[in-house]
Amino acid sequence: MRVWSSEHVFGHPWDTVIKAAMRKYPNPMNPSVVGVDVLERSVDSRGRLHSHRLLSTEWGLPGLVRAILGTSRTLTYIREHSIVDPVGKKMELCSTNITLTNWVSVSERLVYTPHPEDPGRTVLTQEAVITVKGISLGSYLESLMANTISSNAKKVLIAWGGWLPPADHTHMWPPP
Amino acid sequence: MTSESAATADAMNSVGEACTDMKREYDQCFNRWFAEKFLKGDCSGDPCTDLFKRYQQCVQKAIKEKEIPIEGLEFMGHGKEKPESSS
Repeated sequence: MRVWSSEHVFGHPWDTVIKAAMRKYPNPMNPSVVGVDVLERSVDSRGRLHSHRLLSTEWGLPGLVRAILGTSRTLTYIREHSIVDPVGKKMELCSTNITLTNWVSVSERLVYTPHPEDPGRTVLTQEAVITVKGISLGSYLESLMANTISSNAKKVLIAWGGWLPPADHTHMWPPP
Repeated sequence: MTSESAATADAMNSVGEACTDMKREYDQCFNRWFAEKFLKGDCSGDPCTDLFKRYQQCVQKAIKEKEIPIEGLEFMGHGKEKPESSS
């Protein structure tokens, strides 16, 4: 089992970040998403929006890893549940793979909250648990996947910069 | 850095090829409601219910055809006051 976690601060208020997060695929674990569908959506009795989504992804695992796993399939499916609390200003996403489950389990959790000291900024905490099952090279593969996730997360967070305006508090920015 | 990492969910395809147009129409409606109503504390009048029903029927069919292992969802679509499950 391998655990990976990270924290990132956006130079924008929570509402701005959440609007961008809902419009783009918010999972830095795997930027190679090829399809996104909403399976269910509802508002609960506490006014929080629940969304269940199905994500189709190309894992982009190195060929060696796919050979070891013994699969030529590269398209995998992930199920995601998100909860947006507009009053408490918290967005939480949990996701897990629902295919290749005989070989690997990747679960992750992302939480977006206002920065405790600055409402003009937003904190994203991410954590992922990766377990490769039933093969002797499990630890190596877990390490490889964790490094891939970390590297992908950095790339996606850099790409986020194109979605949010410059964090210049002297200028007004209209919402999208 | 790849352009894929900045792609939008609403510009992406559906798991069912025939559902993509319905998906994008629904996504645009939802994104507008989410930003202009929901995040501002206004939960009244969800305008996307009909769009979501049509889109969902298409996706449900595609999921069955592709035998994607989805469990535990009743495909209730949009709803309010759904019983809260443990989280």
